[in-house]
Formats: sequence, C-alpha cells, structure tokens
Amino acid sequence: MPGPEEQVVMVGIGEYHIGRSPMSSIGLGSCIGLVIHDPVNDIGGLAHIMLPDSQGRTDRPAKYADTAVEFLIRGICRQGSKPDGLVSKIVGGASMFQSFSGNLNIGDRNIEAVKIQLKKFNIRIVAEDTGGVQGRTIVYYPVEKGKISVRTADGNIRFI
Amino acid sequence: MLNSQQSDALRELGNIGAAHAATTLSTMLMTNIEMEVPEINVVDIGKIHEHVSDEQAALVIFQIQGEVSGGGYVLLHIPKNSVVRLTNAMLGMTELDRELTEMDQSALLEIGNIMVSAFLDATATLLSIVMLPSPPSLVIDMPHAAFESILAAQDYAQIDQVVIFRTELHSDQYKISSNLFLLPNKPMLDEIIGMLENLMK
Repeated sequence: MPGPEEQVVMVGIGEYHIGRSPMSSIGLGSCIGLVIHDPVNDIGGLAHIMLPDSQGRTDRPAKYADTAVEFLIRGICRQGSKPDGLVSKIVGGASMFQSFSGNLNIGDRNIEAVKIQLKKFNIRIVAEDTGGVQGRTIVYYPVEKGKISVRTADGNIRFI
Repeated sequence: MLNSQQSDALRELGNIGAAHAATTLSTMLMTNIEMEVPEINVVDIGKIHEHVSDEQAALVIFQIQGEVSGGGYVLLHIPKNSVVRLTNAMLGMTELDRELTEMDQSALLEIGNIMVSAFLDATATLLSIVMLPSPPSLVIDMPHAAFESILAAQDYAQIDQVVIFRTELHSDQYKISSNLFLLPNKPMLDEIIGMLENLMK
C-alpha cells in the first residue's frame, strides 16, 4: 500500500494513469478529468480528455471522450476489477471564453460525449463538478474512497 | 516540428516584437522594463503543465487576424501578485491589499491592447504583412486551463505538439513581472516560417 507521503502522479492533457496512488490534473479548462473508480478494490484511473471525437485515431486513447472511457475500464479491469462494480466522477468542461471564434462550446460537447460513453458501458456517475467558467485543478485519491479535491484559481477547494 | 535555424528565426522575430511591446509598457509606466531572451519550446500537449501553471493570473488574450493563414493567439500573462502593482502604477494608486475592480480590468485590457498591438505591428512589419489583434478577452484564472481551452477550440484532433513562444518582461522599480506568449497553430507557424526563410535568402 502507498504511504501518505507518496508523490502525486501528474496526468497531462490527453494522458491517463491507473493505480492506487494519488493522481492529479492541473488547470482543467474545457477538458474533462474523468475518474473511473473501483470502490471494492480501492483502485482507479484518471484520464485528461481534451476533445469529444477521436475521428478514428487510436494512438492517444485518453485524449478523446469516445475512446477514453472504454480504454480506462479495460485498464482497471486488467488489475482485477469487475466492470459492474465501477463508478465514475467527472470534472471540468468549463467555458472560459465567450468572444473568440472556433469550437466555443467544446466544454459542453466534452461533457456530453463522456456521459454518452459512460451510459453505453453502464458506469454510474456518482459525482460531477462540470461546466461554469472557471478552471479546476483536481487530485484523485483512490485509497480514500475515491475522493477528489477540486480547486479553483480563487483558492476554493471542495471535495466530491 | 522546428529545426534549430527555424527556431532561431522565430526567436528573433519574437524578440523584435517583444522589444516593441516592452517599449510601450515602459512609456506607460515611465520606468525601465527589462526583457529576458525569448524561449521557444516545442511541447507535447501532455507536458504543457510543465510550462504553464495553475497559479491564478490575469490573462489578456488576443486572436491574431489579418493577412496570415491559420490561426494563432497572443497572450499577456500577469501573475496575480503583479496585477495590483501594475494597475496601481497605471492608475496612480498605492493600496496593495485590495480587491480587483472594473477599473483594474479596464486598465489590464488597455495595457494588453497597447502591448500586443505593438508586438504584432513590429513582427508584421518585418514580414511585410498586416497582423491585427482581435478585441481582447480578459480572464483571471488558471493559465493552464486557458491554454488547453484555446488549443481545444482549434483543430487539435490530429495534433499533439504545440509551439510556445514566451518572453518575460519585468520592472524592478514596481516589482512587476509579465510574460508574452505567442501560440500559433500549425498553418500559421508554417506560413511565418516560410516568410522568415524567404527573408533570409
């Protein structure tokens, strides 16, 4: 079992991590921090999803909503978890800018795409901190009942 | 994505732009502004967090418009503890321990406008094209969250690397530091590199 002083694993944009140690994604804007957690075995995974649709790409599965969910489930189940015991939490999908051209509702589209996949694989969403206009930094603690701290730039911290 | 010669050319272009931006800041504050040598980094999207933090900062963000294909952004980044000192210096105030008001926000937008216009003017003149900043957008939030939102709003489905140009400007007198970031997408980067290579022939 990891000790409390164990280092937090950083999960950058389009990356993922599966294990028992604390893991973090900093500054989630329109991206999604997707956590899939196994409450029986105190293990889980975090994916830092950037876009809704992989358009057939397979080399960075955690970057896209349509590939990240199944990829994370498979990875956790390879560690001995049962798929029907898994639960999920989603954070992010903010909309930070109003005035630029481009895919402005990308945050909303990310949230929607992740939810569609979770539904497809029958993974229940037990907590959610999504939307709004603020960035979020998260730390996920698999061995502390899958708790996630969500911090905003103004210093507020909440736990989900 | 960039060879060392292209990287040098881009650094020199940014250097000229940033020097003009520093001059305008110097004029506005009537003080000396020091400028660091610009950094050019080709960064994997998964490692952007090593270059851009989640520490609260003011970001004045402009889309690059004009005679250049593709898209790109210029960002003026001012760490939180510099924001009040900067707007105080601009507005002739002294109170440091205060909430940011609409006056601060207008001042930040104005500073950003003047500096970024100077930056783009100088680089465009060198390239003999016209580049204009869009109206600015101000956010006071986590820089990493702003960066990833900007990248996601462009077409980054097939792209995993980004070129980040950064130069630091600071005033010792007012203890203000700020960073200018240039974030071109691939078509814009290719076009600018092409123009620079023509210039050097």
